[in-house]
Amino acid sequence: MSRPLVGILTVLALTAAACGSDADIEVSDVWGRPSPAVATNGAFYMVITNNADTTDHLISVASDACGVAELHESMMSDGVMSMSPVDAAGIEVPGGGRAALEVGGLHVMCVDKQADFVAGETFDLSLEFDNAGTMVVEAEIREG
Amino acid sequence: MTDTPIAEEPTPPPSRSPWRYALVALPLVIAGLVFWWGYNRAQPHQFSGAVIQGVSAAPDFTLSSDRGPVSLSDYEGKVVLLYFGYTFCPDVCPTTLFDVAGAVEDLSDDEAEDVQLVFVTIDPARDTAERLGQYVRHFDGRFVGVTGTEEEIGSVATLYGIYYRAGEGTEATGYLMEHTATLLVVDRNGNLKLVIPFGVQSDAMASDIRYMLR
Repeated sequence: MSRPLVGILTVLALTAAACGSDADIEVSDVWGRPSPAVATNGAFYMVITNNADTTDHLISVASDACGVAELHESMMSDGVMSMSPVDAAGIEVPGGGRAALEVGGLHVMCVDKQADFVAGETFDLSLEFDNAGTMVVEAEIREG
Repeated sequence: MTDTPIAEEPTPPPSRSPWRYALVALPLVIAGLVFWWGYNRAQPHQFSGAVIQGVSAAPDFTLSSDRGPVSLSDYEGKVVLLYFGYTFCPDVCPTTLFDVAGAVEDLSDDEAEDVQLVFVTIDPARDTAERLGQYVRHFDGRFVGVTGTEEEIGSVATLYGIYYRAGEGTEATGYLMEHTATLLVVDRNGNLKLVIPFGVQSDAMASDIRYMLR
């Protein structure tokens, strides 16, 4: 392999590595399921990774796709499913750890959908973290 | 690559050797398959939910859909999946319907013909028959959604041991329902046979349904 090419690849690799680990909070696998047009609400799921040493919290979510977006948790107890908003502190993401928003557990409840949730559609979600501040991520509508 | 000659040719194996291996291996493979088939047939079907032992007749009821009244007895001879939920629910109810739709899709057309999902709302104040119909048909055009008065829904839920209650919500959501989130399966003879908990995947559900259709 030629020397200049090796140099360019090295720089690219280092840049990619830096981008991958620089941010304290990384959000991946942001998605929601296609939802009947007649359904008032939808849900979004994601995985949040905290690369910092200290605990952070996802405090709130906003999106043009939702009249209001709330952080909720579905909980199963003796076969009875209940769903309630998480408390004001938000969703905890431990330092060096992660929080999974997933089906049947923590999720973003998209109240009063403002758009059709059809497969292939994408929506911006604005996530507000206690320490890391605000970041915008893209949610994809897909079947699972 | 260049055309440098290879220093040493590997010794070619004796030409009839692969066939000899095949002659030995083939009967072994056949014996293995026969054993595996027999073993599987001898095993009882492993259901993905809790099996209701004995005969427990599923109580009949009549509620309203956007296409007219629906009674459980309309589906006599079919496997009926009963789910009590509400359309305002963003997470668990649509996931369950999505999984059931996936299971029905896994079945052959003939099998699917003999399966009926009935979604009973536990939130009749918000779920009209029209809303329910459009909601359930998003998942599968054959699904049926039914509603009734608070009293009618309450008595059907009681018959099937379904708990529900309006719980606290937020300003934006209003109340949120708490409800038993299991899928009840009625067999071809009209007996309540299986209770599938939330979270069972489509393929496991399809396997249970297929077994019950036999």
